Amino acid sequence: MKSVYIIGRDTLPQSISLGEGEQLSLTIVYASALEGAPAEADIPLTVSLDGRGASLDIAGLYICKGESRLRLKVDVRHNACGCTSRQLFKGLVADQAKAVFDGLVYVAHGAQKTSAAQESHAILLSAGAVAENRPQLEIYADDVECSHGATCGQLNDDELFYMRSRGIPEDEARRLQILSFLSPVLSRLPEDLAESIMK
Amino acid sequence: MNEVLLEIKDLHAGIEGKEILKGVNLTIRRGEIHAVMGPNGAGKSTLSAVLAGKPSYTVTSGSVTFAGKDLLAMSPEERAWAGLFLSFQYPVEIPGVSFTAFMKAALAAKRKAAGLPELSPAEFLRLLKEKMAFVQMKPEFIKREVGVGFSGGEKKRAEVFQMAMLEPVLSILDETDSGLDVDALRIVAEGVMNLHTEQTSAIVITHYQRLLDYIVPDVVHVLKDGVIVRTAGRELVAQIEEKGYEGIL
Repeated sequence: MKSVYIIGRDTLPQSISLGEGEQLSLTIVYASALEGAPAEADIPLTVSLDGRGASLDIAGLYICKGESRLRLKVDVRHNACGCTSRQLFKGLVADQAKAVFDGLVYVAHGAQKTSAAQESHAILLSAGAVAENRPQLEIYADDVECSHGATCGQLNDDELFYMRSRGIPEDEARRLQILSFLSPVLSRLPEDLAESIMK
Repeated sequence: MNEVLLEIKDLHAGIEGKEILKGVNLTIRRGEIHAVMGPNGAGKSTLSAVLAGKPSYTVTSGSVTFAGKDLLAMSPEERAWAGLFLSFQYPVEIPGVSFTAFMKAALAAKRKAAGLPELSPAEFLRLLKEKMAFVQMKPEFIKREVGVGFSGGEKKRAEVFQMAMLEPVLSILDETDSGLDVDALRIVAEGVMNLHTEQTSAIVITHYQRLLDYIVPDVVHVLKDGVIVRTAGRELVAQIEEKGYEGIL
């Protein structure tokens, strides 16, 4: 499997199963301004941790501009004992664009010693932009560690003022803020891809 | 007497419709260090935020002239280019942005505004190392992300490091002593004093005497309820320490 999927260029499997001790790390990228990116994208992905001790590390980055629409539906299913999943999604939504993150963490009956973490954060860059985070946990085992965090917000004014007070012009300061916000996912990408996304 | 660097006249300002500064007058000449003291809620931090141009504050009347220019008409970045520097009470963290990249952007913008060419990478690095040594910052800090994982003392030291890099003519130190132990306080204060020249000025905002033992002010003001209620020489600091604000007014 590839480790980076760019929506519009690569075909992401809809369903992945991980067997005993198997590890998977993957990063999904959607940027409406990238060449080949569809204006509307509906991305369903199910990853099932079916074998004992399997581990998943998944990240996603989306930048929706104009009238673009993105729906990311990620189901992570812990079906076996001792599996680990880490999810981190970061997105920017500008103009009249809309992004929806629908994330389910499912822990089956008997999938003890599960460790699952899900983070999804979106920043709205204009008044007409919409971002929705719908994190869900469905847990049927009792010995599990699950955490999730979801936020929708704006760029922080205090950070912006701090940078401007050092002489960094407002546009450049906003670019640095965006870089700061996206960096945990950007750092997983090849440098040239990260650069073309930041343009 | 040196020329006037900053002149604040009847400044009224506030936030979210609430007036906090109610007619501040203050004149600072080049080479002078002024302390602004006062009880909590007097408007000390508002004064520093308004001078640096924080957009959430509104100036309702009055004027501020800085090096002959209308300070209030300038954006925060233009104020920085003109030589104003605010050392934050609570410096922010910018994860994912290295101190190097941050300082490079700040210095490049300032040099551009002054019509100077950008420093070469080698020149920039040399300057960086020189200024870090100046505030006794460990070299590895520069590779770290801005503010991330810094202790309180390291954050304040990093503020003085930025001050050294940007060489301001007016530095405003907003409660730089808060959260510092004695050693960190001394290093920070010595850094500020070493940067001080006949041409530069500073406003030191503080509650306590201890910072002013190291950064010795020429003039001391007491701000209370949004106005300066007392102005005197440095002897006022000891009086405040002894009698409290109520005792000297």
